[in-house]
Amino acid sequence: MSKGQDITKNGTPMNGATSLVKSLEAAGVDVMFGIPGGAILPAYDPIFDSKIRHILVRHEQGAGHAATGYAQVSGRAGVCIATSGPGATNLVTPLADAAMDSVPLVAITGQVPSAAIGTDAFQEADIRGITMPFTKHNYLVTDPAEIPRAIAEAFHIATTGRPGPVLVDIAKDALQKETVFNWPESISLKGYQPKLQPNAQSISDAAALITQSHRPVFYVGGGIMKANASKELREIAELLGAPVVTTLMALGSFPHSHPLHMGMPGMHGSVAAVTTLQKSDLLITLGARFDDRVTGKLSTFAVNAKVIHCDVDPAEIGKNRFADVAVVGDLKHTLIALIPALKAALAKNRPDLSTWLRQVNNLKSTYPLGYDKPTDGSVSPQYVIERIGKLSAPDSIYVAGVGQHQMWAAQFVPYELPRTWLNSGGLGTMGYSVPAAMGAKVAAPDTTVWSIDGDGCFQMTNQELVTCALNNIPIKVAIINNESLGMVRQWQTLFYEGRYSNTNLESKRVPDFPKLADAMGCVGLSCDRPEDVDKTIEKALSINNQPVVVDFRVHRDAMVWPMVAAGTSNDDIMIAREMAPDWDSQEL
Amino acid sequence: MSKHILEVLVENSPGVLARVAGLFSRRAYNIDALTVGPTKDPAISKMQIDVDVEGHALEQVISQLDKLINVISIKEILPANVKPAPTDTQPDYQN
Repeated sequence: MSKGQDITKNGTPMNGATSLVKSLEAAGVDVMFGIPGGAILPAYDPIFDSKIRHILVRHEQGAGHAATGYAQVSGRAGVCIATSGPGATNLVTPLADAAMDSVPLVAITGQVPSAAIGTDAFQEADIRGITMPFTKHNYLVTDPAEIPRAIAEAFHIATTGRPGPVLVDIAKDALQKETVFNWPESISLKGYQPKLQPNAQSISDAAALITQSHRPVFYVGGGIMKANASKELREIAELLGAPVVTTLMALGSFPHSHPLHMGMPGMHGSVAAVTTLQKSDLLITLGARFDDRVTGKLSTFAVNAKVIHCDVDPAEIGKNRFADVAVVGDLKHTLIALIPALKAALAKNRPDLSTWLRQVNNLKSTYPLGYDKPTDGSVSPQYVIERIGKLSAPDSIYVAGVGQHQMWAAQFVPYELPRTWLNSGGLGTMGYSVPAAMGAKVAAPDTTVWSIDGDGCFQMTNQELVTCALNNIPIKVAIINNESLGMVRQWQTLFYEGRYSNTNLESKRVPDFPKLADAMGCVGLSCDRPEDVDKTIEKALSINNQPVVVDFRVHRDAMVWPMVAAGTSNDDIMIAREMAPDWDSQEL
Repeated sequence: MSKHILEVLVENSPGVLARVAGLFSRRAYNIDALTVGPTKDPAISKMQIDVDVEGHALEQVISQLDKLINVISIKEILPANVKPAPTDTQPDYQN
């Protein structure tokens, strides 16, 4: 964080570029990820002298995801910086990713000189126009005097309310011109006043509805993480004694070992979590958004449940599902208000949840997550991930790519702490893992950071391992190498009669991942026998002065189960191919 | 199908029309008519947007519009002979 005494005095003359860097310092930035280029070049001169650590990445997409990883671990805004045109357009994917997962991100881009804007100048792209749909807000600055205010507003908007990415595009001449530094004392935006404190009536309505419910469940989403409200979540869950499900974005917000935890709901959720939602009479929804991957066919989702919807973003209320009680506010404030209200309501009328708890616990014990060991002696991908989770320190951070390995990492690592699980949940960005793990490691340099990646994802962004090797960012990468675009292949198995069109990556032949790792300044390891899995993981854990890449060569045909096929009802969850849970043996 | 008229005050900043039009386009809301004009305050413009959505969908249009940082306020203009419909949508969460 910035030290107060280092902040530049208002009224100091300087050029726009220096004003930008002084503004970033004033905003408390300690690290940023980027690549220079023509239009942003003026800014790189004062960056050279700044105390802000600039990490020179190998692709702007890496800068964006690294900033996201940094933000997801630290809870502070991540910062990335790029030049105009292609530099800026390479940030498009990470910005869209951050918007979908509500990540506080500030992206700075250079723009062609203001006189050239609109002329199809060299390296010109209308990045403000391009990023309008998936930034929380964005700016085009052409007057150097406006730089400090734009930066201050960008950080304010990115980090408050529902967090999100903000882009500040600055014309090259605005960076070059002389100006006077003027950091705003306070920020007041007429059109942006996020409501943090929930209204008292909605809190008492929520408490009353909870005491009338006999089958309540806490449906917890990523918002709980943004609000840093894990402690309050545990308190209210134990107060009511109701089951808790945590979505893909909320894993770790509630300890997986807790007896009330039913697991993750959704397309690849546990039978217990999916069915607890389906059979509930009240969804106590905390920072979740009724995403299609959770609800399955929306019209069949939890049809007998009333809904309490708590969210800081009013537009989420009623977007996909009607809310009987809406509580708009920051989740921490909300829970701090709701806990005593519920305590008082329960003192008068405590519903008996014992039958409900017995039913859901029966599901949990009957249908634990599991997997079949391959019969040919090859390595099971789930086993590799499970062992990584067992052998690594409890505070280790796991950063997944997208696909089968992501789901297995969500299922088989026991998350006990918030901000230890990072993934691209909303956008589903293959290539997220390596750069996001880099950012995570920068935010938590003393913590083990595992990138759990697929062989397909890894080949999209692995060049950032060079950045890691050169900048002392020793992440560990477990490539779950099934030589396929595994999740797509799974769908081809299930829905396209096993016609494997263009999903065979042949990545057990090419590339040679350990050699590639070696070439990028990392330690490369390989493992293709189940009996070597533990010692390979231990070897990787013992190397802390260099990034490590392990090529885990795993069984190709492993599939992710349970599964609710896209567009079908959660009631049709399958625990294996053509195998539904034995509903007749369940009380529900 | 009934029409609703929204009067939207926005900051008079470059790109604000694109932000509003883009929002309607990407969330698949239809605009029947759109006019933009100045107000007494040169920093603020007024948009009048005619939409043909009801109930939930109207609530969503308003909520999503309100998320735009440059949007200052949104109010529904009711014809003089029409009383506001009883709310059958979301409970009041704005205050």
